[in-house]
Amino acid sequence: MALTTTPNPTPSADGTAAAPATPRGSSRVRQREGLAGYVFLSPWLIGLMAITAIPMLLSLYLSFTNYDVLTPWSEVEWVGLAHYERMFTSDPSYWHAVSVTLSFALIAVPLKLAAALGVALLLNRAWRGVGLFRGLFYLPSLLGGSVALAIVWVNMFNRDGAFNSFLSLFGIEGKPWVNDPDWALETLMVLAIWQFGAPMVIFLAGLKQVPTELYEAASVDGAGTWRQFVNVTLPMLSPVIFFNLVLETINGFQGFTAAFVLSNGTGGPVDSTLMYTLNLYITGFTELEMGYASAMAWVFLLAIALITIALFSTGRFWVHYSDGEDR
Amino acid sequence: MHPASTPAANTPTTRGRRTPFRRHRLLRGLAAVAVALPLAFGAAACGGNDEPTDPNAPVELSIFWWGGEARAKLTEEALALYTKKHPNVTFKKTWQANQGYFDKLATLTAGGEPPDLFQIDDNYLTEYASRNTTLDLMPYKDSGKLDVSKFPESLWQYGVVDGKLAGVAFGENTQGMVYNKTLLARNGLPEPRTGMSWDELITWAESVSKKTKVPGTMDPSADYKAFWVWLRQQGKDLYQGKELGFTAEDVTRWFELWKGARDRGATPTPDVIHEGNATDITKQLVVTGKAATSFVWANQMPELKKNTKDELGVVAYPGDPGAQWARASMYFSVFRGSKHKDVAVDVINFLANDPEAGRILGTDRGLPSNLDVRKAVAEAVTDPAMKASIAVENELTAKFGKSPQVPLKGHSKVRSELIKAAENAQFGRQSPAQAAAAFVEACRAAIA
Repeated sequence: MALTTTPNPTPSADGTAAAPATPRGSSRVRQREGLAGYVFLSPWLIGLMAITAIPMLLSLYLSFTNYDVLTPWSEVEWVGLAHYERMFTSDPSYWHAVSVTLSFALIAVPLKLAAALGVALLLNRAWRGVGLFRGLFYLPSLLGGSVALAIVWVNMFNRDGAFNSFLSLFGIEGKPWVNDPDWALETLMVLAIWQFGAPMVIFLAGLKQVPTELYEAASVDGAGTWRQFVNVTLPMLSPVIFFNLVLETINGFQGFTAAFVLSNGTGGPVDSTLMYTLNLYITGFTELEMGYASAMAWVFLLAIALITIALFSTGRFWVHYSDGEDR
Repeated sequence: MHPASTPAANTPTTRGRRTPFRRHRLLRGLAAVAVALPLAFGAAACGGNDEPTDPNAPVELSIFWWGGEARAKLTEEALALYTKKHPNVTFKKTWQANQGYFDKLATLTAGGEPPDLFQIDDNYLTEYASRNTTLDLMPYKDSGKLDVSKFPESLWQYGVVDGKLAGVAFGENTQGMVYNKTLLARNGLPEPRTGMSWDELITWAESVSKKTKVPGTMDPSADYKAFWVWLRQQGKDLYQGKELGFTAEDVTRWFELWKGARDRGATPTPDVIHEGNATDITKQLVVTGKAATSFVWANQMPELKKNTKDELGVVAYPGDPGAQWARASMYFSVFRGSKHKDVAVDVINFLANDPEAGRILGTDRGLPSNLDVRKAVAEAVTDPAMKASIAVENELTAKFGKSPQVPLKGHSKVRSELIKAAENAQFGRQSPAQAAAAFVEACRAAIA
């Protein structure tokens, strides 16, 4: 949620970016301008305050209480760090959910990005009808995290679903993918990977930005397709890859809808699809331990922030911003 | 595309946060809001005790229930009858499917706007009653404004939590094992009967599997109500005071019973059992054709019947039927902070006792609690599925044992932990003993 407000990591037009030079006027003029700025911002600011910021602060407060949804706020008890302590010391299902979420994100996100990049490379060529294909590949991600899509997915990957009928054409006996604890999470991963349209479109835009001279120069130097990809395309694309990586990682950790629908809101079979957010939802709304769920939400927020910071710090070593060097 | 889908972090309350925004007062303002809001909500939830003095003043009651379209139609009709008799009272009706109902009810309560009247079941009654969300109806019962004199004694008492009458039983039901009559008749197989032992059921189911290629019985090891009946047949119970009424050894035996059944081919494969473990009626294996029996509540017969072309029959769960009890299938409760408590109680009284309302509502929520109404409804019923469920309940009434106590706070967690443990055993990820030990430990934490 709050993560949509992380600083935009797209390469800015010039390396310095930021601080537009404001004319130095009297302080009153600047104050009035500042006020005008806030007035124009107000629709967004009010929304941010009412829908995001204040509820978030309240949830921080709740995370230190035993709030259980039904008890009026005036009667909740302060429990200090008890929830945080329980989370880290005596809640096996919490750690189970952490491991499910980590394995989901660690596998689905790289594969999704690889699929997006691969298809973007194919669609970057001047083929006939390439526009149609772009549209078709983008389509699944338009459906987004929809409930309808998750229901379709469940029916496709049932024991008697379409996927197993397809397999039986080749004489392969399928599995009850969504109802098998060894495969349910993988089925969700495939769903996430399949929705690679959004990063694909961004990759495509990035590929269009790579100057053709570089390829020409490279081929004059005798570089083959693979060398061109590794030494020209990848470095030139690295800011876009970085951007996609950050966004998709955050998204991957937040996966909820499909897991909720697939498991009827239980995280089953045998907790195999108990994603972090689903566990949090069950704790808060089914088991009514909203204080504990709030604590989980805050740990989650901090964890994602740390992961994002970690990604940014590695970015220095492999993300290559070409713009700055020319100036 | 990028769903902001971590719902719980946003507190579900949305009212009353239009703070005028000033730049340099932002922080101070936020702090004030964080302090003031809980107070405001607390006050809102405690207030509202002002009954309108004029009995004819217009009153709008909000009412919320779960159920299907059939129930909605019947309920709306019965409420319309009340409005006809009391033109000043109208209803704001909301209903939805069972899944997600309690999430919504909890959210409404937290938002300070719970419905005046709401349907609830024994999984959540203690949760709500122990937090004083429900109005104590005992004074109304004592003053006669709420009449439960025609209810079976044990039935209305099944709504008592800590000495308070937290909900009025709205129908009686009991555990019922539903079987596919058509399938058995087509293959010349005998039907299960009330009083057969669990071993006899499994032997019978094995023969059904062999003959029909349809697994003979659902494996109910993940089903708390089957487990509960079985426990009572062993002289144990699910809860005993504030403690669990069983040990890990009991659970191990229960899981081993069904492991044996699986090994003999009497039950479906674990993934199919998992499908049947959903509470959704349309997913019960007896109607999806994936097993010859399902373990349900007897009053669910008509809903089950709607989902299959086959004829269905219903008997008690295996073992001694004396372990079963007359359970309140659900209750209606009044929100403690309702502005119209007296009217709300009167509506419950009307729906429960009025003969005409009773005729409209039928057995949709279970056998009517009022015995006079029940008799009239039973005589008038034409639906064969409803008839069958009434017949089995009437047959069992004489055999019913004493009702257990209303489940403890944390019961819904106990249920979901049983599913997890049983499925771990079914998929062979844990031995019955390991799964049982994990289950008992999780239960202790849940009810602590």
